[in-house]
Amino acid sequence: MIQKKICMIGDFSVGKTSSVARFVKQSFSEKYLTTVGVKIDTKMVELPNQEQVKLILWDIAGNNALTTATASYLRGAAGYLLVVDGTRLPTWHSAVNLQNMVQEQIGEKPFLALLNKADLVNQWELTQEELNPQLQQGWKMIKTSAKTGLGIEKAFSYLAEQMV
Amino acid sequence: MNDTPPLSIVKYLRSFCMADNILTYLHIDEEGNLVAWGGYPRHYGLDNLAVGQAATEQLFFLEGMLPLEHSQILKFLALEGGQVAHIHLLPIRSSTWVLLFDASQAHDQQQEMQQQLNELSILSYRQSRMLQDLEETRHKLLEEKQKLAEANKLKGEFIAGLSHELRTPLSSIVGYTKLLDESPAAKEQMSNYLGTVQNNAEQLLGLIDNVLDQARLDSNSVEIKPVTCHVRKLLDNLKQLFFPMAREKRLNFQINISLNTPDHIQIDELHLRQILINLMTNALKFTHEGEVSVNVSWAANTFYFSVKDSGPGIDKAQQEKIFKAFHRSENTQHVQGAGLGLSISYRLVEQMGGKLEVESSLGQGATFHGQVYAPQAQNLSIDHMLEKSQPQDNIHDPAATQIQVSDEPKKATILLAEDSRGIRMLMELYIQEGGYQVLSVEDGEAAVQLALAEQPDLILMDMQMPVLDGFHAVEQLRSKGCVTPIIALSASHIDLDKQQALSVGCNDYLIKPIELQTLLTTLKRFLEPS
Ligand SMILES: Nc1nc2c(ncn2[C@@H]2O[C@H](COP(=O)(O)OP(=O)(O)OP(=O)(O)O)[C@@H](O)[C@H]2O)c(=O)[nH]1
Ligand SMILES: [Mg+2]
Repeated sequence: MIQKKICMIGDFSVGKTSSVARFVKQSFSEKYLTTVGVKIDTKMVELPNQEQVKLILWDIAGNNALTTATASYLRGAAGYLLVVDGTRLPTWHSAVNLQNMVQEQIGEKPFLALLNKADLVNQWELTQEELNPQLQQGWKMIKTSAKTGLGIEKAFSYLAEQMV
Repeated sequence: MNDTPPLSIVKYLRSFCMADNILTYLHIDEEGNLVAWGGYPRHYGLDNLAVGQAATEQLFFLEGMLPLEHSQILKFLALEGGQVAHIHLLPIRSSTWVLLFDASQAHDQQQEMQQQLNELSILSYRQSRMLQDLEETRHKLLEEKQKLAEANKLKGEFIAGLSHELRTPLSSIVGYTKLLDESPAAKEQMSNYLGTVQNNAEQLLGLIDNVLDQARLDSNSVEIKPVTCHVRKLLDNLKQLFFPMAREKRLNFQINISLNTPDHIQIDELHLRQILINLMTNALKFTHEGEVSVNVSWAANTFYFSVKDSGPGIDKAQQEKIFKAFHRSENTQHVQGAGLGLSISYRLVEQMGGKLEVESSLGQGATFHGQVYAPQAQNLSIDHMLEKSQPQDNIHDPAATQIQVSDEPKKATILLAEDSRGIRMLMELYIQEGGYQVLSVEDGEAAVQLALAEQPDLILMDMQMPVLDGFHAVEQLRSKGCVTPIIALSASHIDLDKQQALSVGCNDYLIKPIELQTLLTTLKRFLEPS
């Protein structure tokens, strides 16, 4: 059986834990409970070629930069999701920052940016102009909502495919 | 199965002074298989550990971790079961030891702290965003307010300027009318007075036209009606109008028409005239020495005109503003002008599908260039027809209607009811000019009495009069069987007033001020039906 380690990276309160909860348990809570350290979850996915892959999800405490503690969690990751809170522009800058640091730490690995909280359209602060430089660098991005489930399944299966 | 940890591990644990707290350890061999375990892995939800099997398939957090070169500590790792441990990974020779320390308590403490910090941080972010939004809104409101204040100020100045400009010709008219009334003036002197009155009245009318047009332009209700326009005739007329002013200021004043300009073009003549008057008034007003010249030409269905002056000129910054309503250039405050002429001309030209531009610099005079689409009109010269026209030719062009001063006085008698002495005088003059006899009264009651007694051929009835107003007077006359044509005179542009006048029995409705020509045409229509 194939196993792949995926890290959830991003600033605090962007929805890393919520995205994992939506993906693994199909549940969502409005209440914010910050993650300390890291929380491990697993989920089986089936690739388009019907191969089964066990995803080992590392839901890492949010931060705008990589600390020594978080860096140690990255070891062995096959890919990662960079989660952004679309209603708080600075979390996008954190993601850009984190991507560089993660890449330095574990080398080039498949990743995908989740522009989360897509359900909160009228509080949205992230603009196309902000995204353009990274899009031009070839970043893959997807709008998601852990609340409604929009894009979540797709995000994980896309990354799974990229990793194997 | 459960082998004892080597000394190095024991020493490591001792260094933490927590040997008693150790709950669990796992030993993994070179191949990554679990070879031994001890303590309470169940505490962490690690049930059914199978020795001899791959460690990563039983301990998912080890995925990708092995083999290790250095020891690693994974702090606060929450396992699937929910228990939190600090996990220490130690490479010893070619195997790996995994130690799990319970960290639930520390985790909960840390959680509480971090939660507060994060929530505070989000709150302060939202707050600063809200303040920023508020500040932006405040800024916008302030800008709006300033704009409104500016507009208000301009309107105030405009109204002040306008009332001044209305007052000047009005007092002149009142004065000369008085003179006409009081002094038995010689015929020549009288016509001088009348000329002054007429000039002032024209000035007033032009002013009011501009104000009305500005309002119409603001409500987008100006209608452009191209008609056949005799260009040279129009310009001759303008020359006559402006020549006295230019002569008075000793300016060189010229109107040049290029040879290729056709006699007749299809254009909204009334508005073109208004535009040219505005531009020429402007040029003559601001120029104190030198010249004012008007040049017109025509090419490719386009009528070109320019008005050039040697006045003070307009700098670049002002050039952007002069076409806006209510604007008056700062260096021209001392000069009269309602500040509407240029803006109206600009917008009228625009409405006519053309454009108006200014070319100037300070101290160098100014030239206004305009162009309007105007195809050549059919070569049917009304002028021509007029010259050759037989008396029976029926030309319904009011502009072409000549004022007829008949040799034989017409016998028709007209009753004039008008309370304003000045207007009464003027109307009497007009009526006599037309060759009719006139009877005048000052109020509605007298009008009714005299009309019944004298049986005039026509009645001119002012609608706003003391004692008995025109509406009631007409009503009474009609109720007493009077069938004489009655023409209402009123200062009101309001349709309702006109309708009311017609409904009480008036046959027509003329709006004051009434021009000689209009009056005579109307009288003729009723008194000499062909
Ligand atoms: N409306 C909406 N709220 C969301 C969404 N995703 C997460 N949230 C809310 O955002 C808050 C933070 O979500 P978490 O999933 O705990 O965020 P996190 O990235 O794990 O945060 P840390 O663990 O502190 O780094 C919670 O109150 C969630 O309910 C979403 O897609 N839409
Ligand atoms: Mg979390």
